[in-house]
Amino acid sequence: MPKAIKHLQAVVREIDEPLPGIKRLVLADQDGWRLPAFRPGAHIDLHLANGLVRTYSLCNDPADCRRYVVAVKREDGGRGGSRHIHDELRSGQVIGVSVPRSGLELLSTGMNIFVAGGIGVTPFVSAILALEREGQSNYQLHWASMGEPSLIDMLEPAVQGGRVHLYNTLEASPPDIRSIVEGSGPDAKAFCCGPTGMLDAFESAVAEWPESRKHVERFTAPRLAPSLNAQPYSVVLARSGREMEVRPEVGLLATLEAMDADISVSCAGGICGACRTRWTEGPPIHHDRVLSAQERAHEVIVCVAECAGPRLVLDL
Amino acid sequence: MITAATYPQQFGGREVVSAWTGVVRHLHITPRAFLPMESFDQLTLVAGKGIEGDRYMIGRESGFYSHKPEEGRQVTLFEIETLEALARDAKIQMLPEEHRRNVTVQGVPLNHLVGRRFWVGETLLEATRLSTPCRHIEEILGKAVFDPLINRSGLNCRILTGGIIRVGDAVREA
Repeated sequence: MPKAIKHLQAVVREIDEPLPGIKRLVLADQDGWRLPAFRPGAHIDLHLANGLVRTYSLCNDPADCRRYVVAVKREDGGRGGSRHIHDELRSGQVIGVSVPRSGLELLSTGMNIFVAGGIGVTPFVSAILALEREGQSNYQLHWASMGEPSLIDMLEPAVQGGRVHLYNTLEASPPDIRSIVEGSGPDAKAFCCGPTGMLDAFESAVAEWPESRKHVERFTAPRLAPSLNAQPYSVVLARSGREMEVRPEVGLLATLEAMDADISVSCAGGICGACRTRWTEGPPIHHDRVLSAQERAHEVIVCVAECAGPRLVLDL
Repeated sequence: MITAATYPQQFGGREVVSAWTGVVRHLHITPRAFLPMESFDQLTLVAGKGIEGDRYMIGRESGFYSHKPEEGRQVTLFEIETLEALARDAKIQMLPEEHRRNVTVQGVPLNHLVGRRFWVGETLLEATRLSTPCRHIEEILGKAVFDPLINRSGLNCRILTGGIIRVGDAVREA
């Protein structure tokens, strides 16, 4: 029986190094089939050969959906994902890629203010390419980098149009974020992606702004929607005795998958019953539309369940 | 597109009257899980196997559910009326290439056909079960279509007589 396919398989078509320490990857389907559409500023996860999963912003035009382009800065002190990409990944290799998610809600008429630090420019590159393609010039990019900016070749029309403000922090002061956002007008929306210090300064500058007019890009996993006041609990696989904490933002299903538990998942929405599993300690909080009240006394649809107690013991 | 074609059939020990003739409005396949469906003017159905080029063709096994082999999932159908209902009732715009079934039909009561045979152009299909919605589609589309598609998510079929089907082909009972 074939294994479950959990993500796209993409071929690394090209790798170049626009600046030392920055690798740019072009990913495509093996037959050039269209890839899932994405919004400006969307992210994908790369599932690398060594089991690492890393998230990067797409930085090509969303209209160009025959390929995904990401740029990766080598982080020698990081957790290993960027080192693997820089040192091991080769053109022609096949890697797993998630469906794109998230993205930036751009203003169509008001001014979009993008504040970027270094490689944090990537989500704004796809946004700017989309705006330029649509003939819109209602944006400004303020981009700080230590030395030469890394993906400037992708922003030629924007640079020529005077909509990109570069700050080489080796030679000059970093951008004054507060004055940038305060001078952007009452209808502007401000976006920031960059190092922690820049994000903190940005959040301070826009602290009084309504949520709809600001966006901070932190590369965190999308939050699930656990029940209000949900608490962590332990899930125990009774047959092996294995145990793992279920954090509310991760959920039971993803935890069981991380444990490589022997469950069959189909709809992942609590209606098909494929993942019904016997439980012996809990009790579970049931959210399915499959089980009767009697069945719930000893079975649970794990794809949508939570737990009311400190331990959920499953017959797995 | 319901026409006046009416004829009796024996079903469940009682006589029922069928009164439908439908038409193929869209055809879509994709070669691998997660990739978008693409539109074609015609598709080749292979008896007992599936659709040439599609991810669920038996032997190809490259679909999201291919790890759960299902002999009765050689071709899938979807009602265009469901897309209209989504727009009307749930205010969700869902395009024919987004429901991820192969054949979008109009005027065909798919939910009534489980266990029955019908013609799509020159091909003969046998309906095996109703399709069920899945979170996979929501993940791909980013649209909350799971609940609105419950009980109207299309039909799984096996191919009894293969051939080429085209947009505009008639769909009729066997």
